[in-house]
Amino acid sequence: MTKTLPSLGLITVLALTGCGGNLDSDDSGTAAAAYPERAVTLLIGQDAGGSTDLIGRALADPASTDLKQPITVQNRPGANGAVAAKELAAAKPDGYTIMVFVGSLAYITPLAVPADQAVDINNYEVVTGISQDDFVLIAHPQTGFTTVKDIVDAKRPIKFATTGVGTGSQLTQTLLFNQAGVDATAVPFNGGAPALTAVLGGQVDVAAVQLGEAKQQIEAGKATPIVTFATQRPTYMPDTPTATEAGYNVPVQQSRAIVAPKGTPKEVIDRLRTAFGKSFADQDYQTFNAERLLTANEVDGAALLQQWNGSLSTYKDLVAQHKIDLSGK
Amino acid sequence: MSEVIDGFAVVLEPTNLLYCLVGVVIGMLIGVLPGLGPAATIAILLPLTFGLEPVTAIIMLAGIFYGAQYGGTITSVLLRLPGEASSVVTVFDGHALARQGRAGTALGIAAIGSFVGGTLAIVALTFVAPLVAEFALDFGPPEYTALALLGILLVSTISSGGRLRALTAAAIGLLLATVGRDDFTSAERFTLGNLSLADGLDFVPIAMGLFGLGEILYNLEERHRTVHAPATVANVWPSRTDLKQSGGAIGRGSVLGFFLGILPGGGAVLASLAAYALEKRRSKHPERFGNGAIEGVAAPETANNAAATSSFIPLLSLGIPANATMAVIFGALLIQGVTPGPQLITENPELFWGVVNSMYLGNILLLIMSIPLVGLFVRILRIRATVLAPITVLITLVGAYTVNNSVFDIGLVIAFGVLGYLMKKAGFDPGPMVLAFVLGSLLETSLRRSLLLFDGDPTGFVTRPISGVLLAVLIAVILLPAAQLLRRRTQAAPPATAAASLTGATQEPGPAPAAEAEAAATTPATTTTADRTIRREEPHP
Repeated sequence: MTKTLPSLGLITVLALTGCGGNLDSDDSGTAAAAYPERAVTLLIGQDAGGSTDLIGRALADPASTDLKQPITVQNRPGANGAVAAKELAAAKPDGYTIMVFVGSLAYITPLAVPADQAVDINNYEVVTGISQDDFVLIAHPQTGFTTVKDIVDAKRPIKFATTGVGTGSQLTQTLLFNQAGVDATAVPFNGGAPALTAVLGGQVDVAAVQLGEAKQQIEAGKATPIVTFATQRPTYMPDTPTATEAGYNVPVQQSRAIVAPKGTPKEVIDRLRTAFGKSFADQDYQTFNAERLLTANEVDGAALLQQWNGSLSTYKDLVAQHKIDLSGK
Repeated sequence: MSEVIDGFAVVLEPTNLLYCLVGVVIGMLIGVLPGLGPAATIAILLPLTFGLEPVTAIIMLAGIFYGAQYGGTITSVLLRLPGEASSVVTVFDGHALARQGRAGTALGIAAIGSFVGGTLAIVALTFVAPLVAEFALDFGPPEYTALALLGILLVSTISSGGRLRALTAAAIGLLLATVGRDDFTSAERFTLGNLSLADGLDFVPIAMGLFGLGEILYNLEERHRTVHAPATVANVWPSRTDLKQSGGAIGRGSVLGFFLGILPGGGAVLASLAAYALEKRRSKHPERFGNGAIEGVAAPETANNAAATSSFIPLLSLGIPANATMAVIFGALLIQGVTPGPQLITENPELFWGVVNSMYLGNILLLIMSIPLVGLFVRILRIRATVLAPITVLITLVGAYTVNNSVFDIGLVIAFGVLGYLMKKAGFDPGPMVLAFVLGSLLETSLRRSLLLFDGDPTGFVTRPISGVLLAVLIAVILLPAAQLLRRRTQAAPPATAAASLTGATQEPGPAPAAEAEAAATTPATTTTADRTIRREEPHP
């Protein structure tokens, strides 16, 4: 973390980063064997301070110790990571530019944006999977909802908050209420925190947010968990059923992976995977995962592609089957 | 209450102490320098706060804001050059006092008034903000819709530079806020297929361009002025008569400033004008004003500080910036990953109380610094624009890049810098545009969310208590100026007098001959130099 840099020093650093970015010599052909010879840039497509950013930073430290080169974390927020993904695609495939890629960009956003803006994960090399984040459906205690059946039996139109259009929060709830035959209106908010506030303030009936975001309020009894959308009950919430157990087919998760540009040499990918393996084994990182209720998904590139491509086709089918339009038009 | 005390622990951390000091010194410096205002300075320094802890960053930026209120006084009194817009009215009596050889008294009273006004406002802030935040969860989309609407309207009606121009600027700001992917349908709006615009225009480069670069460009047009440091300021401690005369003015200025600061669109400038007008109206000898009335210094200087402090209330308790400077600080909080809103006090108590309590300390620091360091600060005026401007531009552009590591943002800063310059030249205040831009997306998303919640029935806004009251206030704001206009036609109302004396003082050819003679007799060298400087400045207000 660079949080303690005094501002004068920062000015110098800013000036240096401002003009030192693209001076590297062209040696990608012979570089693979000696990799890494200099700092590796880790792009993050989300704002500093968010879940993805924190995960990237938690991984960077132990991995850079193993690589014996610094890993520079750079945030390029925009369009759920599409801005960073575009930059990564244009970067030289030499292993010096990699990115923390969010799964929703690969398998949910394409359902909501025009085809020319959709990002295809198959145009990148996957270094390794990282972890999965589960969504939980929460309700304001005053609604009296504790199960999906309660919502169905209420026989009234409900309002649900989502964390935005083209997010897992929207997809999970749209699929659930569609399958349950509930007359539900989506109210999109900008991120997890405002969606959670809308439930706490009673402005909406329910919302689906990531487990880690709702943990505190659930423990305080200010929000009632109804179902999680995990494939099996997360160890952190053993008493809350999954949507599958409740009888609905909504297997939606947020997932993250380390990704490199297409054409990065296999030796470089393997070297990076070894380095991030050190991070996964790191005690501090494991504590971090437990605190944020993240489930490890440290699979290799091939397995991850299979997961994500599978998710995309599953969601495409489900969305088509239930005639859902995520773009809300 | 323990959170309030924990806040002091946060302030007393060495880093925070240091940055509080850095903030108030920078504030004082830019207060002295005419041209560069606190909004511009904070906008330029925004990216540098990126590497700091949130509380440290905001402590420093807040220090710049209220520090500038102190600094602006010095040049108003000594050189008749208001360093800040909020110190313009201080010129009338402050400089008259200086010509009478009582510059020290004027500065002393201004410092004391600033301190009292600032401190009283912090005490009130300590009690009021948590009250507002109690209703945090009751603030849903309909309430935010009403608040955003009220904010935009107030800003556009109160702003300097004419109502029509302000409304035009605000309308452009609202339009700019619509750029980007629609939050509800993910449809592209005005993005020209550019992925960098998919999330809309970023606030930081807009503020840095309009306020920072725009102001630097505009100031380059000003003729180079030669400023001579005035003589040492003697006898800073006001006499008992002075204190007695200004006591009431300081009290009234504190209260008036506090309330005008909370008002969206209010802030330090409006507060200083109103406080001056109030004192003049109340005085049994209004003719003393403009000829060295100590209340004429005490009232505006107290009010501008109280307002600078109280304008943090709507930002920190509701997430609604009340004026342009607060909009920039809003941007600073966003950069830090902190979304200002009703949840801030409960979720981030150390940030809230750390910032609030740092203001006590900052005001003490300013009180200590403002008197002995007067000479030093005045000397800063000698730094040539040819040196200062390129450095500031460089910091601005490098800074703009580092926020998102985006070259596109540099382009945005330059584009909005040119726009800001042209706006200023044409007499448009960029303030309403920036505020309307910030509040615009809040207004749109809240309105559409509300309508989703109400199933499309707009009467829902009126039936909810908080949004209903806010909308009633909104209607009052629209009707009040009309009523005032009618009243003003029948009798000459005081605000009009204040405006008249403001323009009068800057346009009148020179000081009263008698006062000038007296001044020349007491402190010949410096006063006449200062007067000459002013005369040279005169055709170029």
